[in-house]
Formats: sequence, C-alpha cells, structure tokens
Amino acid sequence: MSVAVEFLSVFPDLRGGKRMFSVKPAALGKIMDQLEDRIPGLKEKLVSQEGNIHPAYVVILTRGGVQKLLKDVACQVKDGDEISVLPVISGG
Amino acid sequence: MYGYHGKILKVDLTQRKIYEETFDEEFAKKYIGGVGFGFRWLYDTLPAKTDPLSPENKLIFATGPLCSISFLGSTGISVATKSPLTGLIADSDMRGRMGGALKATGYDALVLEGKSSESVYLQVTEHAVDIIEAKELWGKDIKETQEKILSKINDGKTVVTSIGIAGENLVKYAAIASDLRNFAGRGGTGAVMGSKNLKAIVIRGKLKTPVADAERIKTLIKEVNYLIKTDGSCDTLSKYGTWNTTGPANFKGILPTKNFQKTTFEYIDKIDGDAMLNSIWVGKRTCPGCAIGCRHVVKIEKPYSVSPDLEGPQYESVAALGPLLFNADPVTIAKANELCNLYGMDTISTGVIISFVMECIDRGVLTEDDLGFNLKWGEGEGILKAIETIAHREGIGDILAEGVKLASKKIGKGSENWAMCVKGSEVPMHDPRGKKGMGLAYATALKGADHESSMHDEAFERENALPDLGLKESMSRKQFGGKPFLVKTLQDYWGIMSDVLTICKFPMIPPRPLTPARLVKLLNLVTGWNFTIEEFLKTGERIFNLGRLFDAREGISRSDDTLPRRFAEVLSEGGSVGENFDQDNLQKMLDEYYRLRGWDNEGKPCPETLKRLGLEVD
Repeated sequence: MSVAVEFLSVFPDLRGGKRMFSVKPAALGKIMDQLEDRIPGLKEKLVSQEGNIHPAYVVILTRGGVQKLLKDVACQVKDGDEISVLPVISGG
Repeated sequence: MYGYHGKILKVDLTQRKIYEETFDEEFAKKYIGGVGFGFRWLYDTLPAKTDPLSPENKLIFATGPLCSISFLGSTGISVATKSPLTGLIADSDMRGRMGGALKATGYDALVLEGKSSESVYLQVTEHAVDIIEAKELWGKDIKETQEKILSKINDGKTVVTSIGIAGENLVKYAAIASDLRNFAGRGGTGAVMGSKNLKAIVIRGKLKTPVADAERIKTLIKEVNYLIKTDGSCDTLSKYGTWNTTGPANFKGILPTKNFQKTTFEYIDKIDGDAMLNSIWVGKRTCPGCAIGCRHVVKIEKPYSVSPDLEGPQYESVAALGPLLFNADPVTIAKANELCNLYGMDTISTGVIISFVMECIDRGVLTEDDLGFNLKWGEGEGILKAIETIAHREGIGDILAEGVKLASKKIGKGSENWAMCVKGSEVPMHDPRGKKGMGLAYATALKGADHESSMHDEAFERENALPDLGLKESMSRKQFGGKPFLVKTLQDYWGIMSDVLTICKFPMIPPRPLTPARLVKLLNLVTGWNFTIEEFLKTGERIFNLGRLFDAREGISRSDDTLPRRFAEVLSEGGSVGENFDQDNLQKMLDEYYRLRGWDNEGKPCPETLKRLGLEVD
C-alpha cells in the first residue's frame, strides 16, 4: 500500500536532491505529516495554517492516468495514486 | 513632468540628420511610454505595406517612466518596429540597462529611420550624438562587437546594444542584444537594424530624471522586495530561474516535443530544472533592481566550450533547442543557445525552423543531401550546423532564414502542415492544447504567436487570482469557457502595460507581489499622476487596439486569427491526453473575444470602441 510523491522543480534544498518519495495512503494532510518527517520544513512552505495549499504551488493527484488538482488537505489519497508537487506558475 | 524628459532623439541614417522632438504631458498620459509610444509613432508614420527592411521602416527604442528608477528590471527598454518576419507591428521588451542609460542622456526614446550608406554605429551621450564608421565591427559577433567598442571606453557605465551576424544577414528573426545578455529576441528587430547598416548603439549618460515622490517610492520598493523574499511566491523562480517550467510543462503535457508532434519528452530527467542545476549551471545573475535573480550562468568546457560571460539558456531556449528537436543533452542545448546569442538570433524561431526541417526529412520532403549536412532528431552536431547555416544564409540556410512560413511555401509538398507559426511568427514553447487561454492568445497576439502577450492559464486555476481585474473565478487550464475575458484582460494588463512600463513581467504573475494596485501606485509615485486601475487597464486596451488597427491596415482579419492545424489533433498521451484545439472552439472563442473587445465580426475595432478609448486614427 503506497503512494508515490514526486517533487518537480520545488524545494530542492529541503529534499536534498531526492525527487521521489513513497508514503502510505491517507488524507493529504496526513501525507504531509509523513513527508514532514523526511523533509523537515516542507509543511511550513507548502501548507497554510488553515490547511490550504500555498498559492505558489499546486498538488496534483494522478489516478488512472487522469490528473486532478488537490485544493486542501482533506482530500483522500488512495493506494496506487501518484502525487506531484510543482510550482503553479510556468512561462518564460 | 516627473518621470520624463519630454524629449525624443531622432536619427535619419540616410541623411545623417540628428534632431530632437518633444512631447507633452497629455501625450505621455495617453500612451505612457515603451510600446505605447512605439505603436503610436509607427501607426502615425508608416504607410501601409511599407517594406520592413526598407529605409522607410522605423526602429524605435522607447523607455517608460519607471526607467527613472531601478526596480525589477525597469531599466529595460521596448523595441518596436514593423516586423520583417510577419509584416505586422512588433515589439520586443529587452531587459538590461539600455532604457536607464538612454534616460540618463536626457531622452525618453530613440527613433531610427533611413539607411546608412556604410556600416556605422551610433553613440549617444548627454552632450553629443555621433554617427561613427563601423567597418571594423561588421562581421563580428555580439561578444566581439561589445568587447571592441568597450576596449575604447570601458567605464562600467557605457551600455552597448548591437546586432550580430544574423542581423547583418537580414535573418528574419534576428535579435538585438544589449550588454551581451539581454535580447529583443522576437520578430526580427535585429534584421531591421541590420537593414539600416547600423551595427551598434552606444549609450552613456549621468542625468537623473526627476520623480514625484522619491521617499514613498523607496518605501514601496522595500515592501515588494520584502514580499519577494519572504512570501514564498518567487522561491522556485529564484532557485531554478525559468527552468522551473521544464519538468512541470512535461508533467502537464504541454512541452512541445518533436515539432509539436508530442507534448511529453521521454528524457525529461536529463534536462529538467534539477538536471540543469546539477550539470551545466554555475551561478545566477539578476537584472538591475531585482530581488529575484532568475537568470542562469552556465559554463562548459567539453565537448563544447560555453562561456559564462553570455546568458545561459532560459526555459524557452531549453525547450526549443531540446525536446522540440528531441535533444536531451544539456551541453548541446547550451552550445546551441550560445551560438544563437553570439549570432543574434531568436532561439524560439530557430528551434521551430530546425524541427520543421527535421520533420521534412522524416517525411521525405527534404533529404540530408538537400541540406549538405546530417540533421537527425536529437543529434547535436546537426543542430549546431543548422544554426551556422541559417546565421550565414549558407545553402538551405538562406531559405530557413526567412522563417518557417516562407520556408514552407518555398519547400512546398505539404510542408505547410507542419510549419508551426501564427501570422508568420513561430510558436513558443507552450502547447495550447493543454492551456486553452494560451491558444487564444497565440491566435490574437499582435505580432503572431507570443507567449508573453497574456499570462498563462495555470495561474488562474485557483480563485481570486487577480480580483482587481475581475479575475475571481477559478478555471481549469484545459477549459475553453471564460478564457476570452481572461485573455483580453491580460493582454491589456500584462502583455501591453509591462512593456509600456518596461518592467519585468514575472513579478506581476499572481500570487507574486507586484499586484495591479502596487504597480499603479508606483506609476503614480513616479509621475505624480492619479491613475486608477481602471484607467491603467484602459490605457493598455487603447494601445492594444492601436496595434490591431496597424495590423488591420496591413490586411489582417479574422481568418488570420488562427492556429496551426496540428493543434486540432487530439493528444494521445501525457498530462493533456485527449485534449485538442479545434476550429469550432476557436471560432466560438473569437466570437466572444471580439464582442468583449468591441470589434466587428472580422476583428476590426468598431468606431464606438475607438471613440471610447479616445483613439484618433485616420
């Protein structure tokens, strides 16, 4: 039972260059707690005290090849899902 | 007037006539500066069907009032002309110091016309303007030109702006470079400069431009810089530069690959932001007055030498010289980028042209014998050779230097079907099938496909992204609905007004802190005016409509507001699987977009729209 979490061009210093992480299925908030243990400082950067994703980032769930934007920490993530964290803004 | 000198420097290179003109505050308030000045003067002085490479064309360098201060790259400049690539109006914003330097000589703008009988460069100081013989510079690349000029006057304040060999050879997408690393890249401004036999513009000055409220400007700058450093909104841009886009673009299925045949790249791990930082990156640079610092320094010694003195490849260049060509080698990307920079050639157009040729070979329309060298997807030597042939107009390079639209017409055999351009301008590195607003922006941009004419869809997938502009609802990047209002508003605000103020576009993108309210406040503190956000937006709308009137006078209408037919094909994989941009949806978007703009069914501004905007035209 696992969920793959990928970081795309975000927080390189916090995650020490590692790009992929494996966590247990849970609500997004609980997944953030699991990640915080391995990437200290992540939650402060990525999630507000109200439980919203910081507006500079997006968290996208991929399930069955379909991507869905996760807007708050209550969203449920299941076994086999993939989560990607990336900057909201592109262009240049 | 605060923020202005009220003076324009005009140089007729045919007659070697140098003279000044003035403008008043009423004109300044209506067009503000930068591209606003450029478009107004081009519209008023260029008759329809003027050959862009004839002496009659104008090349206009115009500052905005924020050039009086140094904040977030505001010492850049807008370059406006009639484009030899599209035959339409064009502007290209160039970061760096040229705007600030021109302001410091006592001029707000420089207007060039005519054609010198021999190669020359122009020297502007606050005391004198000289046209100087430049035979020894002709044939030199951007770096050699800069070094040769500065060897005589290297005081650290002199700003050299020049063309390279591509501009001399009238490559239709030749660029202009300032201080080696800042480019007016798109639309062929460098070819226009070359057509005038003008190799360089050398500027130094010390004059200050008075501003209305220096203390409050300082406070506002401090506030924005503090937010840039602390609110998290600029962290990835600061860390990765625009390479923060490469991996996410691939993930979302919008990364042009193999001439837009695909939108995901198998070898993304070799060229995404992390890969570049860990391979060729050695440091970063900032523009004047910028707290972000998104510009890359790269250094390579083997197998090619790439100098850290030049600008490293930004996202557009990485994508255009990488995945678009199926090239996964950071070293080749950096070398190709350096060659384009040295020759003074737009990397987007160059990448699109080369990928077009690669597809021609795949489809048997061209052979490597036709080229005289090997050119295969992903093979570095061929890519570098192709750049050389284009810059020098050697062999097939002479056709490719005309841009993909004309090249495909000359080559024929159905190759128009994979010539990726809008109105003759090569498509930038964002596939519109996965971001529908960008598609409408490409179709309606004044200078052909332009990724900087409207903010990108992703920033509006959350609520209240820019509430001051009425952009409150969240909308998916993939949806068509709601995008005409989004694009219209952002073309006026972001596309036009950043180039009017000659300030960097990046800090204006939500949730970054240079909000409409702060930007308008800054304008008012510099000029002493009392602009509201509504008036600011209306100014952008006025200038956009003026540009459209110019293009309409050249024959542009609804049928030209379109996209390459490849975008109607449905994507079969990746983060935008199942998406396409078909004609039915485009036509529906255009109906709504024209209605919002106050244009007729053919895309021409209606008389009542011009009246509302206070646009006087003949």
